[in-house]
Amino acid sequence: MRLSKNPVMVSVMVLLALFFLPFTLRAEQAGEYIAISKEGSGRISIVLDRIASKGRLESTWAGSTDGTIKGALDFTGLFNLMPAPLNIRNAQDGTLNLGSISSVGADVFVAGTMSQKLGVPILDMQVWDATGKVLLARKYEGRVNNLRETGLKFAADLVELLTGRRSVFGTGIVFVSNRTGNKEIYRCDFDGQNIRQLTSSGSISLTPAVSQDGRYLAWTDYTSGRPDLYIKDLSRNVTVSVRKQGVSISPAWRPGTSQCATTLSYQGDQDIYLINADGTVDRRLTNGRGINVSPTFSPDGLKMAFVSTREGRPQIFIQDMASGVARRLTYSGNYNTQPSWSPAGDKILYTSMQKSGEINIFAINSDGSGMMQLTSGERNNEYPSWSPDGSMIVFSSSRQGPRKLFVMNADGTSQRPLLQMDGEQQQPSWSLKN
Amino acid sequence: MSYIRPLTRALYVPAVLFLGACCCNKSVVKPTPKAAPAPAPAPVVAPMSDIFFDFDRSIITPSSQDQLRKNADWMAANSGKNVTLEGHCDERGTSEYNMALGERRAQAAKESMMSFGVDNARMSTISFGEEKPFDSGHDEAAWAKNRRVHFVEK
Repeated sequence: MRLSKNPVMVSVMVLLALFFLPFTLRAEQAGEYIAISKEGSGRISIVLDRIASKGRLESTWAGSTDGTIKGALDFTGLFNLMPAPLNIRNAQDGTLNLGSISSVGADVFVAGTMSQKLGVPILDMQVWDATGKVLLARKYEGRVNNLRETGLKFAADLVELLTGRRSVFGTGIVFVSNRTGNKEIYRCDFDGQNIRQLTSSGSISLTPAVSQDGRYLAWTDYTSGRPDLYIKDLSRNVTVSVRKQGVSISPAWRPGTSQCATTLSYQGDQDIYLINADGTVDRRLTNGRGINVSPTFSPDGLKMAFVSTREGRPQIFIQDMASGVARRLTYSGNYNTQPSWSPAGDKILYTSMQKSGEINIFAINSDGSGMMQLTSGERNNEYPSWSPDGSMIVFSSSRQGPRKLFVMNADGTSQRPLLQMDGEQQQPSWSLKN
Repeated sequence: MSYIRPLTRALYVPAVLFLGACCCNKSVVKPTPKAAPAPAPAPVVAPMSDIFFDFDRSIITPSSQDQLRKNADWMAANSGKNVTLEGHCDERGTSEYNMALGERRAQAAKESMMSFGVDNARMSTISFGEEKPFDSGHDEAAWAKNRRVHFVEK
């Protein structure tokens, strides 16, 4: 290998290996905890001790970090969180009595301290199992104006340690709200925090989607008086528009490329086209009679699911990108729209308008088997979008009247509001990653 | 309230014919004064009327066909005018699909107008999907008014 001739590179590699090795070993041990928890409630039980601190400033930081970590772990729906039992510390010398956590049914114990070094918050966290084995010990340097980030970093490490998967912490959601009186694009963190307005068109902005690499934001906008496709390069803050006769509807990025698919109608029918990030049209993808709309790609980018009326009423179809051959996916119901392909590639979410007039979210395997209804009996539930790790789903619901954003676990359990915000919110896309 | 629209239509059609006969060398036909707050599209913008559709359909119904013929007559009488055909949907169904459906409604109306002799170049189409409902109600009476193609004089 050419690398081995470079002594600097070798030493960097050795250092990196030393840094990652202990963590990897611990992550393997964590598999045991998954096994243990599955025998019981299906959730891993965590005892969260309050972060210790000395000094007024440090205890303020510790309190807010406690809240961040607890809130983030709670949000995942993966854990039972419990306070420390009274006998967790020896009354005389303060040593840990880790045996006490198994007596309350917990799998791991989490504790830490908050201190400061020249005004910089230092979060020192430890994770033990009930036998007293240290699973994780890590120090985080924080920023006073963004303590939340520090708490989320630890929470992300903990989730990865205990589940073997990346967490949703650090991801974000783009969506549409009419809070200002006009529909504009907004973003928020995975848990609905840090809401920011991204467009100020004063017009109608719809269906935002961020590319897999986080570089581009695509959406439909009526700024010119007509619905055009807009693509913003977020790294350079440059926006291009695709102005064609007719409509432009609901773009979706193709994984592994800088291309998105969107519906245009400048050649007559509403067909799906592949668009380059510079706004040029690459090629037409569908040539079906009627409406073709709402593309979503398999994670390898080789297949596209979409809505078509080529056989009458709107149904979901899957098309092979190389051959162009399409097959029908949905046969139950006569108004199936809004497909969303799972990050694992096995499932596709969609919405179905039922006989009652209610719109509900369904999941189906990409081979057409295993259809499952995820929402029911609570008015309209629309526009499902997977979290990047595939563990959760964000959607809009009119269950409380106006359309608001909700999240649920991938199996439809634990449905709850995502954020509090004036006006209506809709068309969420969980496509921001850190 | 549903009796108002047929009533205003019944008054409006002879009134337009009467005014048209009186002022035939004026290019713009003034509509009747704004009497009752008519739920039908305001004839102030253009003396043409909306056409309406069944749910999830873009097929022109026979009564819409009659209205399109009248709209085409107006286009013939106002040869200097162009028109935008706005396709709209009711709030049911999903909004991305409705954007496409609104476009198909506008396209269908345009093709029908062309069959009555209106020049393609004088008409453009735009879809607003379910973004601009005429009636913000949440029942079939409101939805029926929102599934429409609206004619805007340019």
